[in-house]
Amino acid sequence: MKVLEQLFERIAQRVTINLREFHFNVHPYVEHLVPFEKLSNFYGFYGVTSQHPLDFKFLHSNLAGSYFLGKCRITNSIVYKSDVRGDELKKKGTVFESQGFQIFLTRDEGIRIEDSFLIKTLVHNHSHDPEHPERFPICNTIACRYCNIHGSPMDGSFLEPFATVDLTTMNDCVVGAFSYIQAGEVNHLRIAPGTIWVKSPGHFNFLYQYPKDSLRRYVQFVPGFPAEGLLMDFVHERKEDFQRVFATVNGEAGIPVPGNASVDRYAVIKPKTSISDNVLVAQRAFLENSRLGKGANAQENCYIINSNLAGYDVTAHGAKIVEVDMGEMVFVGFNSFLRGRPDARLAIGRDSIIMPHTIIDSDQPLHIPAGSLVWGLITGSDDLAKNSISLEELRAIQGGFSRGRLFFEGSGSDFVDAFCVRIQHILEANGAFYDGNSGLGHAQKNQNISFNTIQPYSEGALKGMFPTIDILP
Amino acid sequence: MVPLSEYATVRVGSTLYEAILALEQVQKEFDQAKYKHRGMLILNDEGRVIGKLNHLDALQALEPETEDDVETTLFYYGFSKDFVRDISRRRRMEGAPLVNLRQKAVTLKVEDLMRHTEVDECIDYQAGLDMAIHQLTREKLRSLLVVRDGNIIGILRLADVFAAVYHTMTGVPAQRGKHEGS
Repeated sequence: MKVLEQLFERIAQRVTINLREFHFNVHPYVEHLVPFEKLSNFYGFYGVTSQHPLDFKFLHSNLAGSYFLGKCRITNSIVYKSDVRGDELKKKGTVFESQGFQIFLTRDEGIRIEDSFLIKTLVHNHSHDPEHPERFPICNTIACRYCNIHGSPMDGSFLEPFATVDLTTMNDCVVGAFSYIQAGEVNHLRIAPGTIWVKSPGHFNFLYQYPKDSLRRYVQFVPGFPAEGLLMDFVHERKEDFQRVFATVNGEAGIPVPGNASVDRYAVIKPKTSISDNVLVAQRAFLENSRLGKGANAQENCYIINSNLAGYDVTAHGAKIVEVDMGEMVFVGFNSFLRGRPDARLAIGRDSIIMPHTIIDSDQPLHIPAGSLVWGLITGSDDLAKNSISLEELRAIQGGFSRGRLFFEGSGSDFVDAFCVRIQHILEANGAFYDGNSGLGHAQKNQNISFNTIQPYSEGALKGMFPTIDILP
Repeated sequence: MVPLSEYATVRVGSTLYEAILALEQVQKEFDQAKYKHRGMLILNDEGRVIGKLNHLDALQALEPETEDDVETTLFYYGFSKDFVRDISRRRRMEGAPLVNLRQKAVTLKVEDLMRHTEVDECIDYQAGLDMAIHQLTREKLRSLLVVRDGNIIGILRLADVFAAVYHTMTGVPAQRGKHEGS
C-alpha cells in the first residue's frame, strides 16, 4: 500500500504545483475522497474487439474498477472506476480536419494518462488539438467524481465533481463543480462552480452561471468533504444495482435486444424497459421502465427512468432523465438532470437541444416546445421562459443578447449549426441510422466485445498497484 | 502637507454613511481655498491610521453589486468590450440602481471598503522633494502618508508636490493653501 500512497502524494503535489498561481492546494479536496483500501478492492478491465486497436500499456498505476478500450497508455496514475473509452480515436492513414488544416495521421491516436488521478470519470472521443493529432494526453490532472473529459487534452488541471471539459485543450485550470467548458483552448483560468461556457472564437460566446445558492442544493463541494447534494444522492441510491452488475461474470441484459442494437453488459437494465433498432446503451448506463425508440442512445453514467424517448435521441454522458416524454431528435447534454414527477411529467418537443448541465426539476408539468434551446436551472414555467429560446429565433440573432443569467455574443445561426452538426455526428457515430448495409456505428460494432480483467497486488508494499502490462494483438 | 488633524478621519466600525457625512463636515469646517478633501483616513481604536477611503471607493461601494460582478465575469470569459458595455447600459436602463442609496450606505462598514495603507505609500517626514516625486510616479499615487517615528502625521498630496515643483522651478515662494488638492 505504501507505493500507492506515495503515488497519490506525488500526483497531488504535481497538480498543486501547476495551480500555484491560484494558491490552490488540492490536498484538502482529495485526501479522503477515495479510501486507499478501496483502491485495492476492484479489478480493472479492458475490451477486446476487432473494430478498434488493441494497444494497452499500464505502468506503475492503479486501475481499480476502470474500463479501457482502444489504444491507452496509463503511467504513474490512479484511475478509479473510470471509463477510458478509445473507440473514437483517430486512426492511422486518416485525415483530421481542424481549423482549415487537413492533417494526415501517421499512426493511431492514443490516450495517454500520466501522473493523474481520475475518479469515476469518463474519457472519450479524440483530441481536437491540431498540434498533437495523434496524442490525447491527460497529465498532472485530478478529476473528481462524475467528470467528463471529452476530446480534451489537459495538463495541470483540477476538475471538481460533475465538471465537463469538452473539445477543449486545457492547461493549469481549476474547473468548479458542475461546470461545462467547451472553449477550444483555455489556460490558467479558475472557473466558478456552475459555469456553462461554450465559446468558438470569431463565431459565438455562450455563458450561463448558476445562482450559487440554488446550485448547492444539487451539487456542493467543499474542502475536506465528499461532494454532496441531490445529484450525489441520486446516484448513491442506485449504487447497489451497479455493484450487482459488476459482480456478475457474464451479464445479460435480460430483455430482448435487436440484432442491430447494443446494450453493454455493464449497464443496469431494470424491468419494463424496451430497446428498439440501432439503440446504443453504454456501460454504466441505468435504464428503468423506459422505452428507447429507434436510434436512441444512452451513454456512460446516464439514468433513464420512467421515460419515453421517441427515437434518434441523444442522452449524453452523465445525463439523468426521469419522468420525461421526449420527441424525436432531442439532444440532452452532458450531466443534465431532467426530473419530472409521476403526476407532473416533463414533455420535450422534437428537435430540441437541452444544453449540457441543464437542471429541470419541476413539480408542475412542463412542456418544452419543439425546436427549443434550453439551459440553466428551471424549476417552473417562469424559469423555462427565461431559460429557453426557439432555435428559429436564435438563428436570427447577430451580435448578441442576454436573457436571465445567459449572455450570448456572436452569431446565433453559427451556434445552432455547430450543435446540429455535432448531434448528427453523434447519431452517425453511434450507428443510429444503420440500415443493414451502411451507417455502421457503435451500436453495431460494440456487440461483440470481450472483456478481460486485470488485478492488482493484494498485499505488501505494492498492494493496490497493478503490475506493468503491455497488451497487444 | 495637510496635517492629520485637518484631514477627514473616521473610526473603524463607522458606516459608509457616517464617513460621507464626516467628509462633508470637514469640507465645511476648513477653508475651501486651502483644501478640497477627496478622501478620508480610517483610524483604529488607538487612533492609528490603518486605511484610506476616497470618493471613488465610496462610489464603487454604492454601485449595484451585480453590475460590477457581471462586467468582470464577462471580460474574464472573453466577451468583447462593446458587448459588455451594451449589456451594462441596457441593464442600467431596465433597473433603478440609485434608489435606496442611504439604506445601502448605512449597511456598509468602512473597514470593508477601505484600502489598507502600504509601505510604498508612506514617506518619511524628512524625505526630499525628489523622493516624493519618485514614489508618487513609481506607484502612481495621488497622495503619500507622511510618517514620523512610525506614526502618520499628515498627507502629502500630488497637488502639494506639484506646487513645490512649480515654486522650485520659478523661484516664486510658496504660499500655503493657494493650490487645491487632488
